[in-house]
Amino acid sequence: MREVAVLGLGMHPWGKFPEKSVTKMCREAVAAALTDAGVSWREIEAVSAASSRFSGGKGWGLNGNDVVEEMGATGIPVYNLSAGCAAGGNAFNIGTTLVASGQHDVVLVVGGEKMPKGFIQTSGVDDVHDPEYLRQRCVGLPGPAFWAMLCRQRMEEYGTTEEQLAKIAVKAHKNSVHNSYARFRKEFTLEQVLSSPLVSYPLRLLEICPVSDGAAAVVIGSAEFARKRSTKPVWVAASSVATARFDDGITRGLGGIVPTGRTHHSEAARAVAKAFEIAGIGPQDLDLVELQDNTVYYELAFPEDWGLCQPGEAESLLEKGETTPTGKLPINPSGGFQSFGEATTAQGLFQICELGWQLRGEAGVRQVPGAKVGLAQTLGLGGNATAAVLTR
Amino acid sequence: MTIQRVHAVPGLFSETGAGPRLLGSRCRGCGAVYFPKDSVCHNPNCDDPSLEDASFGPRGKIWSCAVQNYAPPAPVVTEDPYEPYAVGVIDLDDGLRVMGRIDIDDPMQVQVGGAVELVVGRIGTDDAGNDIVTWMFRPI
Repeated sequence: MREVAVLGLGMHPWGKFPEKSVTKMCREAVAAALTDAGVSWREIEAVSAASSRFSGGKGWGLNGNDVVEEMGATGIPVYNLSAGCAAGGNAFNIGTTLVASGQHDVVLVVGGEKMPKGFIQTSGVDDVHDPEYLRQRCVGLPGPAFWAMLCRQRMEEYGTTEEQLAKIAVKAHKNSVHNSYARFRKEFTLEQVLSSPLVSYPLRLLEICPVSDGAAAVVIGSAEFARKRSTKPVWVAASSVATARFDDGITRGLGGIVPTGRTHHSEAARAVAKAFEIAGIGPQDLDLVELQDNTVYYELAFPEDWGLCQPGEAESLLEKGETTPTGKLPINPSGGFQSFGEATTAQGLFQICELGWQLRGEAGVRQVPGAKVGLAQTLGLGGNATAAVLTR
Repeated sequence: MTIQRVHAVPGLFSETGAGPRLLGSRCRGCGAVYFPKDSVCHNPNCDDPSLEDASFGPRGKIWSCAVQNYAPPAPVVTEDPYEPYAVGVIDLDDGLRVMGRIDIDDPMQVQVGGAVELVVGRIGTDDAGNDIVTWMFRPI
């Protein structure tokens, strides 16, 4: 397999843009990525796109085709990838595979999403064969309550406090102040987070990511192309995809087996472990992590699920400031989903953009000093997960 | 007109003389449990994926819980005016990990690890004025 370089990064700011279509938002992100790469649209040989759940794509998730038509239809192959909120990560994986395999030298990866108001209704179909429908109808348990249960279990197991949960939100928002792409660029005090309304005890409004509109794009290419054309390539050391195991401890429908051992979100752990294996690195080699923080809970659970710290150690890393951009294990220096809001299928590429800027040393005030190796991770409905390791 | 009790979704639990039971399946090969009923075992390591009917309950322990503080939209069934309620994941003694509401006056008082029993309770009213009921877990 050939080496793959990230050549160009581009984002449309996250927020609410009722007057603009998802395709026009993607166009801005793509144009920025092409300019950053110094590559023209006519040079792009293939597009790997995240299929949007809520916007554009002709109702079939054909968002890559929308982007190609918008940019100028050159007849190139388009791959539309659907993986819930992991779709951006999946699109990146397929894009890098197209380059690594030798099929294409320069590929565009893109994801955009415009979200409806309110908490995500995952299925939206009244079908008694749909576990999501059954869970909502019979139990009354929407997504945030699901996160709250995971969080409450951790509080029981490790003594995590409500104040510690709030400190994660404070840290995330502090990081976002200097990120012009973030939707919320405002600091919150611990008291403000702790006095925000309970959504689902123990989680509060400022500890759960809202939904946003957003779009992000990256141009990737072969090492040979990068050496000829790029002065600032970042290297794709690994890109991986995994799905949840049968014995995962998270109940995805109404019920199932009681698992032996602690296996939550096995899909994310497997994707990250595979990425480490491909890259030939270990947790100790990471300079920063962009992980999927739909809620602050994940910033405690994921690092230990992946071996980045010991079980129960995440709270003390937080308290010591080790997860800030200047700490030992910087997590989400971008501000994360807490500060951006989730534009579901675009998130995986927003993470790649942030890693790229950090590794190029272009992240400004939120720069992780001397960042050489970064990890990105997504998680999506259906037990989907992806991971990527980028290096300078 | 008599007010009737209508199951939120039919066929998921039965009300026996010994109390309610959840209706699911158990694998003859590997013992994996399913709720609701399924037709075949999904364990990739199971070589005999035929299922038999199984009923689950009534006793278990709360693995974790949360409070539904805001009024969620349909298809969630809620009372008017809205009152926050507790939800949980329960590990039943007979091997099923299952979600359910927790039948308790103050949802903040639910204890993780606490013992519960399966009950049937009202969650709202349908258009015809009937009580919509579902399975719940009551701390004991």
